[in-house]
Amino acid sequence: MSEVIVVTSGKGGVGKTTVTANIGCGLAMLGYKVVLVDADTGLRNLDVVLGMENRIVFDLTDVIEEKCRLRQALIKDRRFEELFLLPTAQTKDKSAVTPKDMQNICSQLREHFDYVIVDSPAGIEQGFQSAVAGVEKAIVVTVPEVAAVRDADRVVGLLEAKAEIRDPKLIINRLRMQMVQRGDMMTLEDMHDILGLELLGVIPDDEQVVIATNRGDPIVINENSLSGRAFKDIVRRMLGEPVPLMNLENGEGFFNRLRRIIGLG
Amino acid sequence: MAVQHALNGLNDSPTVLVEGILRSGQSVSFEGNVVILGDVNPGAQVTAGGNVVVMGVLRGTVHAGAAGNEQAVIVAFRLRPTQLRIANYIARSPDGEVFNPNQPEIARVRDGIVVIEAFPPSGERQGKK
Ligand SMILES: Nc1ncnc2c1ncn2[C@@H]1O[C@H](COP(=O)(O)OP(=O)(O)OP(=O)(O)O)[C@@H](O)[C@H]1O
Ligand SMILES: [Mg+2]
Repeated sequence: MSEVIVVTSGKGGVGKTTVTANIGCGLAMLGYKVVLVDADTGLRNLDVVLGMENRIVFDLTDVIEEKCRLRQALIKDRRFEELFLLPTAQTKDKSAVTPKDMQNICSQLREHFDYVIVDSPAGIEQGFQSAVAGVEKAIVVTVPEVAAVRDADRVVGLLEAKAEIRDPKLIINRLRMQMVQRGDMMTLEDMHDILGLELLGVIPDDEQVVIATNRGDPIVINENSLSGRAFKDIVRRMLGEPVPLMNLENGEGFFNRLRRIIGLG
Repeated sequence: MAVQHALNGLNDSPTVLVEGILRSGQSVSFEGNVVILGDVNPGAQVTAGGNVVVMGVLRGTVHAGAAGNEQAVIVAFRLRPTQLRIANYIARSPDGEVFNPNQPEIARVRDGIVVIEAFPPSGERQGKK
């Protein structure tokens, strides 16, 4: 059974592309066949984050315009045998890909892969609507800020109303542990109270993510980093393993609250 | 009974039930009463000709008595709204202040302002035990 998942957020810059790349690599590291689809036409990033930019010959829009076959547009990762990227065009805009096109592409891809993961653009307009058209599950990414959580909530409502995607999973990115300790940041409880979604994982704010991203090597490949471990745990939770949330802070109470939210306490 | 008195009109006008979380950007609008069996999140909006009852946390915006009925009330299990409107009266949450009541509350218009009180009134609740 293959899974077709969109990674989305409403608000821009919260880490959709980073999450897509890391989850994709993490699943491929475990031997799953994975294709990552960049739905951010005109502002593509996924190729850069994966270090594949220089290999793009054909893209999603070429497939749609029948300038090439789907298989020709898929780029194989240099590290993992089973990881592929379907890039999109940088020189076109969102109107080049319709919801119908995405339905079509996703249903073809799912025949050949265990996981089809779509990196959605920010916003709730055309690009978002195409990105969610061919999927059946969603991961919503947010950061611990009121505005981002508000946008995530908006997106959860739209996923249900427009795409019939219920119960998306939540990833909270860029948690700053010192700020939480000082009481200066929204807590996981605050976010859970509003969004009411199952928490797939929490990723610390970590400069290693930026360094890895700039190198084109997603952080999940790096055994030693905290954020890399957080992504590995997320992948295992996606596979159904009951992995406890790592202790991102020394306060025992905090850790226990996390366990409760993720349903392990 | 005081409860029936407070929710004047809940018995005799049509009522719509909404199940689930009303999320940012979503809205419900109805000429009678509206009962939400869940939370109303910030950025969500409920508009009713009659009363509004929220069986969860009300964080969004609610307009009761939208056609001008000043008798309409808003009741929530937890009342933490962005803004409340009853008929033509508007009340908004105090800037910056976080006030977290730990009991159901009722908002209604009294002497030209929107007032918020415990619901049911605490005296009555003690009296019942
Ligand atoms: N956990 C993290 N710690 C530190 N930096 C991060 C983290 N996650 C993402 N970033 C950085 O934040 C920036 C935005 O991330 P990313 O491009 O993944 O967001 P996005 O949601 O895809 O953005 P867009 O809406 O523009 O598509 C990048 O520079 C990325 O390296
Ligand atoms: Mg992106």
